[in-house]
Amino acid sequence: MPLISQVGRNHFKVRFLLGAITTLLWIGVSLHLFPVWWTFSTSITPYKEIYKIPPALFPRGATLACYKLIFTMFSGSVTITQPFWVYIKNSGIMTGAIMAIQIPVTALAAYALSKLHDPKWSRLLFLVLVGIALVPYQVSMIPLYFLLRDFPFATGYVPKIPFTPIPFPHYNFINTYWAVILPGGYAAFNLLLFKGFFDGIPDELINAARIDGASEIGIFRRIIIPLSKPVFAVVAYMTFSSSWNQFLWPLIVLKKEKLMPIAVGLYRFQEEVNELANVIVPSDEGLLKRMAQGYSWNGVMAMSLIQSIPVFIMFIIFREQLMKGIKLRGFK
Amino acid sequence: MKKVEKVKRAKHKKRAAWIFSLPALFFVIVFGWYPLVLGFRVSLEEYHFITPPTYIGLANFREIFSDPLVPITFRNTFYYTALSIGLTFIIPIIISILLMEMKKNTIRIMMLLWFIPMASMAGNIIWKWFYNSYYGLFNTILVYLGFPTLRWLDDPRIAMLCLVLPGLIMFGPGLMYIASLQSVPNEFYEAAELEGARLGQKIWHITLPRLRPIISMLLLLAIIGNMQIFERPYVMTGGGPGMATTTVVMYFYQLSFQSLIFGKGASLAIILFCVILALIIIQRKYFKENIDV
Repeated sequence: MPLISQVGRNHFKVRFLLGAITTLLWIGVSLHLFPVWWTFSTSITPYKEIYKIPPALFPRGATLACYKLIFTMFSGSVTITQPFWVYIKNSGIMTGAIMAIQIPVTALAAYALSKLHDPKWSRLLFLVLVGIALVPYQVSMIPLYFLLRDFPFATGYVPKIPFTPIPFPHYNFINTYWAVILPGGYAAFNLLLFKGFFDGIPDELINAARIDGASEIGIFRRIIIPLSKPVFAVVAYMTFSSSWNQFLWPLIVLKKEKLMPIAVGLYRFQEEVNELANVIVPSDEGLLKRMAQGYSWNGVMAMSLIQSIPVFIMFIIFREQLMKGIKLRGFK
Repeated sequence: MKKVEKVKRAKHKKRAAWIFSLPALFFVIVFGWYPLVLGFRVSLEEYHFITPPTYIGLANFREIFSDPLVPITFRNTFYYTALSIGLTFIIPIIISILLMEMKKNTIRIMMLLWFIPMASMAGNIIWKWFYNSYYGLFNTILVYLGFPTLRWLDDPRIAMLCLVLPGLIMFGPGLMYIASLQSVPNEFYEAAELEGARLGQKIWHITLPRLRPIISMLLLLAIIGNMQIFERPYVMTGGGPGMATTTVVMYFYQLSFQSLIFGKGASLAIILFCVILALIIIQRKYFKENIDV
């Protein structure tokens, strides 16, 4: 409470100001939480209440029917042919793999830059590793697509072995989880975060351990990691939320329904329901049956909440560490 | 003996340095620089489906410059960036400064409630439903209050504003401000107090200069992120009504991955890169990170 001094807090004017700030903040909180609450309340509302004109502000009745969508398949949908747990599983696999590769790869490189390399090499490698972040990813998107389609050729066609009509051996990663995981193997922004933190760890600690005969990897594991828990938490949270939220890239490289992450699944689901909502014919028996299964906006809301839950949980787990760990040094 | 030991250790260190940085170098070169460099080449080529692409020089760029849709998408993107930064960038800063005035426990609870994140696709979809012209929340409220309803995302005049509005109450980076606000020493405020500084003066002369590096950094990231906006307009409006919310990256996606005109798509991406680079340079020039207290 630094801005308003402790001493004058009993003064009427100061108390009034504090009260005003508190009220404002609570109003803001309720505005902020309102969408979440409204989403939840929509998700448990029976579909008949939702498509009413004019809609009811306080709908009656509650049902958990929509949450069954996680386990059951729709009947009669063209775009959504999998139960939602498949999308959740896909997102989980890809996010888990990206975290498992990206965090150690980035942390080790940042540590090497910060503590192990000569200053000359360190500066050069820093340019190579961080410079990539300055160019928007759209520029490399098309060749990256080619690269993953005919690995390791990124030119859009596979050259032929000289004097033969046989193309060079190549591997197609498109429509596999790897197409999403491999480009996420390293992140320049996280390298900045790690390096900023490692730079603050005194060299004496590391040299002392070296004199005691610890191996380099041992030093990293036993000294650096325990000291840098906050920054690991920040990076873990950021990597998690960015890979969980990934949309454009999976949309491009994953064309098989079985492999799509939940963001893409949700998008397709929502598109289809939205089209449906504009052509409601209340007498259509089949349509009503599908809507009762959750094929309506309350189903979409339920699945949106399901998509958000892991992000909520990670935020709560890492909140304390996040506060300690965020020290951005900028591009210096 | 000792010297031998030292040399050995230095050698170990050097070897470890390279072993530790190799995986990252592998990823950044294979999946970063290699496609990036080729991206510039793609913009100079025309793609056919089976035969190798042919070099056509700057023809793709000429085509981009004569495409009447490109100026529209750039205008939309600038409009979105300006609206989004103008309307939503300052709010988390104010909230964080005010939050710090609360009691310790209140800060903890409120921080959780204020900055709780939502998955981005879920957020977009939820807001799209709020804006729905027939059954959406906003029109429901308007009807109950007796006002005429609006068409929100279907109205070309306010569609872009509607895209930006969720940012007013849903935001992420607040935590970063709180983290750096905590590092402001209390003595600064006490000293200012003794000299009779008022509330506004304290914020202006002590708090904001301390937040300057983080504000500058997040402003930079906000500019870069907003210029590349894709997901929100793609999900909420699909670029419509008409072309009112089609952004550059949406047009890029359409060209490259739906119409499969790779060369033209790549040259649009490069032009976007140049524009963003120019913005970064301007921002760096006029908004330095240094604290000058």
